[in-house]
This record gives sequence, structure tokens and C-alpha cells, in this order.
Amino acid sequence: MKLLEIKNLHASVEGKEILRGIDLGVGRGEVHAIMGPNGAGKSTLGAVLTGRPGYEVTEGTVTFDGADLFAMAPEERSWAGLFLSFQYPVEIPGVSITNFMKAALNARRKAQGLEEMKAGEFLKLMKEKMAFVQMKGEFAKREVNVGFSGGEKKRNEIFQMAMLDPVLSILDETDSGLDVDALKIVAAGVNALRTPEKSVLIITHYQKLLEYIVPDVVHVLKEGRIVRTAGKELAEQIWREGFESIV
Amino acid sequence: MSQVFIVGQSELPGKVRVGRDEVLDWVFVVLPGVSAEIPLEIDIDGPGAEVSLAGLYLCGGDERVQFDVAVRHNAGDSHSRQFFNGIAGGRSRAAFHGRILVRPDAQRIRAFQENHNILLSEEARVETTPQLEIYADDVECSHGATTGFLNQEEQFYMRSRGIPESEARVLQMISFLSPVLARVSDPAERERLSREVEAAVRSL
Repeated sequence: MKLLEIKNLHASVEGKEILRGIDLGVGRGEVHAIMGPNGAGKSTLGAVLTGRPGYEVTEGTVTFDGADLFAMAPEERSWAGLFLSFQYPVEIPGVSITNFMKAALNARRKAQGLEEMKAGEFLKLMKEKMAFVQMKGEFAKREVNVGFSGGEKKRNEIFQMAMLDPVLSILDETDSGLDVDALKIVAAGVNALRTPEKSVLIITHYQKLLEYIVPDVVHVLKEGRIVRTAGKELAEQIWREGFESIV
Repeated sequence: MSQVFIVGQSELPGKVRVGRDEVLDWVFVVLPGVSAEIPLEIDIDGPGAEVSLAGLYLCGGDERVQFDVAVRHNAGDSHSRQFFNGIAGGRSRAAFHGRILVRPDAQRIRAFQENHNILLSEEARVETTPQLEIYADDVECSHGATTGFLNQEEQFYMRSRGIPESEARVLQMISFLSPVLARVSDPAERERLSREVEAAVRSL
């Protein structure tokens, strides 16, 4: 069985149908890219998979590691190994990165019946993962995303991804608003986390990120449906000829 | 050095006059289950005086909490700051009436007032009325008042990282109250109070 299995998924926002029958399977160790023009439903797919309030699933099923994803609360999806890198990371004034990550990791450990992480062990992990996305020491004390530049916000997403060590990472427009240097840091971060067991779903409008994180499969989403699936060469074709060239 | 008043336990100060170069630094804490009216009248009579009033109130049931704060700048070259944050759930009623008066010959005044509130239920009510009466012209004065619900975007972000909804709410509430707790100057007292407030927040 595939890690992620999406069957005939329909979803609406405020009564308007955005996803109109998506079928998609992501196997272990695979990197898939979902490309498509604005309004195709790319971000809606990420939102529905992670359980964002305001999105209604009207038809279809999604299984994650064999379990019914829609029966799980957003936090339970995280504990099961699902991670979304937000297109617009949220600012949380008054909550430091350290306290945020400590709460996240310990909540998962509690759900798994484990004891809280030892302070020394936690700090060591923080330090290691901060270095991984080239964040300096004071980063740990900063309030989550407050006053962060666009690039810092996206690096913070990849930092959290590294801390949580998910089985399936969904990157929602992680490349938008990034300069080439920040893009390289983000891509190197994602590539370093690639293993034969772990999968990545990259949602992107542009082909640029896919030069750095090379996908196994590329899907084109248009008007809420996948209209084309092929190998990485599809991204290059879109880059040369635009979405209009894809039927 | 700040002085902490636990409403319902400590004797409340009420009226006070603050003279030349004196410092007044008070923090008020109203824990769940306590109903109280807290009138505070501060007359600033001398230049160089510094007044800081801070407070937090936590209501989760059918409490009635009301602050009536009046700060009167009767002398020039004095400063005052009010910083009150409250959380109201259940069917509670919380009110903050804050008045700043600056007399005509009290020049070079700085006076600030902030009152922010979070509602945890549809039935809870918060009333906030800032009132500024300024009769001098060389004055820097501001006030801000807000009332709202816990931010849903923040909650979803935290939940997507594996923080359960209940814990996300606690984190949000503690971060909302932390600027008031930061006003407690003694570290040991601040630590003790923070723990007490966290336990109270978890009960809401």
C-alpha cells in the first residue's frame, strides 16, 4: 500500500467546489510535485490534507499509512508523521521557538506514551537542526515568526520539519518569495531529509524549486483535477511552454 | 520594586498620593472564582513621579470583576503607565474603566494605558472604557483597548505541529498574559506567580 492514497477527493470552501475529484498516490521514498496555475486548487489540497478549518470534504477518501486521514484531528495527523510547510507561516506573539518546539515534541511523545524529552537532549536537537537551516543561536529565543523576513519564515518551516522528522512533508509554495540563497538552504534541508522511507509532496507554481529538489513524479492540477502526470521532464516542459501547453 | 496584590487575598490599596520623585509600581492579579470591584485612585502630586499599574484578570464562570482606575496628573514632569489584560469565559462579566486626567498646568506628561481582553465564550462580556481628559498641551498620551477571541490561525498552526487544541489555547493565553507578569520585578515572585497563573489558565 502507498503511504498516501487519495481517491476521488472533492472539497469545497464556503460552498464553492475547489477540488473536483483528485486521485493521487505517493509511495514511500518518492518525491512528487504538484504544479498548476493560480486557483487550480493546489493550496486547498495541502489545507484539506492537514485538516485546516473552513475546508469541507464532500466526497472521496484519503488514507495515510493505511489510516483514514479524515478521522484524525490536525494534531493527530502530525503525530502520525504528516507535516505541512505553510505558504504563509503564522506569527505567534509571546511564544518562543524553543517553547513552541518543546510543546510540539512533548505532545507527540505523550501521545506515544513516552516521557517528556530531557532538557539537554532537546537543546542538542534544537542546536543541530538550527545549524541545518543556518539559523543563529538567538533564533531559539525569538517569538515564532514575529518580525521574520520572508526567507527566515520559510527556513523556520524547514527547521520545524527537521525537528519533527515527518514521514510525509508537504511543501506549500515554499519557494515563493525566496531569493536564490534562501532557496538553496531550503532545498538542501529538504534533500538532506530524503530517505527511502520518507516522501515529499511539493506544491509549486514555478519550476525553479524543482531544479534543486528533483521530483520523481510531476502532476499538473487544473480546475481542481489532475490533468497530467509524468516524470520530471514535465516540469521543464511547463517552464518552456507554460501551463497552457498541458491538456 | 513592584508590589503584587492578589485580589481576594491581599488588602487593596484604594487611594494614594504620589509625591515628588516617588515611584509606585503595582501589579494586580484576579484569579478564577474571584468577583471584585477594584477602585484605584492615584493622585500624582510631584514632578519626577513614576506610576506603573498592571493587572491581569481571569474569569471562567460567573465572576464579576470591575476595575475603576483613575490616574490624575496634578503635577508636571510625571509619568504613568497602565497595562491590564484579562480573559473572560463562562458567563463572566469583566470591566475596565480607566481614566487619565492631566491638569492644565501639568506639562511634560507621559501617560499610557492599555487594556486587552480575550473572550472564551459567547456568553462572557467585557466592557472597556478608556477615558482621557487632557487640559495641558505638552503631553504625550495614548490608550489602546481591544477585545477578541483566541486567534484561530495560530491554533491551527500549532495543531499542525502536533500541539493539541487545549494546549495551544493555554500557550496563547499565557503569551497574552506574559507582558503583565513581566511587570513583576522580583524574579522568584514572578516565577511563583507565573506558575499559579498557568495553573489557573489550565482551569479555564
